[in-house]
Amino acid sequence: MDGDTLLLVTVVATALAFDFTNGFHDTANAMATSISTGALRPKVAVAVSAVLNFVGAFLSLSVAATIASGIVDSGAITLTVVFAGLVGGILWNLLTWYLGIPSSSSHALIGGVVGAALIADGTGAVNGSGVVSKVILPALLAPVAAGLVAGLGTYLAYKITSNVSQNVRDKGFKAGQIGSASLVSLAHGTNDAQKTMGIIALALIAHGSLDEGADPPFWVIASCAVAISLGTYMGGWRVIRTLGKGLVEIQTPQGFASEGASASVILASSHFGYPLSTTHVVSGSILGSGIGRRLADVHWSVAGRMATAWLVTLPAAGLVGALAWKGADLIGGTAGVAAVFVLLVACASAFYLAARKAPVNSENVNDEWTGSVAPQRDGVPAGV
Amino acid sequence: MDEWIDLAALGRVLLASLVGGAGLVAVFSLGLVGLSEHEGRMRSGTHAGRGGSPLGLAVASGCFLCVAAGVAVGLWAMLKG
Repeated sequence: MDGDTLLLVTVVATALAFDFTNGFHDTANAMATSISTGALRPKVAVAVSAVLNFVGAFLSLSVAATIASGIVDSGAITLTVVFAGLVGGILWNLLTWYLGIPSSSSHALIGGVVGAALIADGTGAVNGSGVVSKVILPALLAPVAAGLVAGLGTYLAYKITSNVSQNVRDKGFKAGQIGSASLVSLAHGTNDAQKTMGIIALALIAHGSLDEGADPPFWVIASCAVAISLGTYMGGWRVIRTLGKGLVEIQTPQGFASEGASASVILASSHFGYPLSTTHVVSGSILGSGIGRRLADVHWSVAGRMATAWLVTLPAAGLVGALAWKGADLIGGTAGVAAVFVLLVACASAFYLAARKAPVNSENVNDEWTGSVAPQRDGVPAGV
Repeated sequence: MDEWIDLAALGRVLLASLVGGAGLVAVFSLGLVGLSEHEGRMRSGTHAGRGGSPLGLAVASGCFLCVAAGVAVGLWAMLKG
């Protein structure tokens, strides 16, 4: 295997690893509320979401071989920059998963690429107004818009069904919630798997094994679909717990209203070309459903922690991306990229082992929220 | 302002999701009211305890069909891009 091919293989493997963490981190977006209201058993929920992400990935009609377009100058997007950006995205996804914080996978990737491009080509490579208009403002607007829709939906759902028997109401909203959560999963597969397909297509074009403008080969679509759905099935239980139990104590009508709001905002934003991060939309919806139901308990400290993480996502992933690029550049060539890849695997294993010390899984994901991601055992705080 | 924020697109997203999100949630809730009427399980009011209202069933069917149509439109909108 020559150097170019090794570089291509490493970038493709890293892209699929990012796709996996993307699914893994974002299972919560679709399923956290369904799991906490008991509409679906935890294992069933992640399985349904995985299947729908898989199907959704195949529904992508057009895969654009662009990354961070309008944010980073396309001339600055080299394979090493893309690789370093992916490393930044993966490590930020793993850290926030460990801390149980829902943060945007797309922002992590964009942050990583921006950081790598900045250190590779200087400030000229990054379009400042693009960062504000395509990343920062949407991040502020998405939760507000989704919260508004979910808040109104929750208010109406309680108002309209106030006289309906508990049994019909519970069963009905649970069924509705499963439907709307499925819609969110499908949309996630379609929108997010497409991003990784675009990255792999870009790598293939740079390697010369794919013509510019050509559709990516079937194995690219299939492997991205498999990676995102495997990640989803693994279930980022730590993030699921924060969204389902930590933010707001959720009842079935709220769960339905918030998933409905998320689904509609995500579908509308991809139709009208105003890309909003699924994570920001879902978190906003859940908060909105807490505000829409009077006397619901909203844990504002958790919301604050989450908002802080969103603000830090871009610079933090950017810093990792920049370091990854610098490291690969210092060693040089394909060997540099391979060395950073080995380091990435080591860091990922460290996060995995750290998380195992205070595990959150399908068994304890719905335990009473006591202020920590990992539930307390026998009254002893279990870390984090 | 236009350089920073596409107000027109944002406005459309908000309008569409208010109608499609909160609106359909409300329609679904109405469907549950109809279903509850039909099953005679309203907690209070003129119909309390009286079962088998065909009107309730009709309302419920209409509402749930409307929600299903809304979902289909939403999926079509996303895939069409």
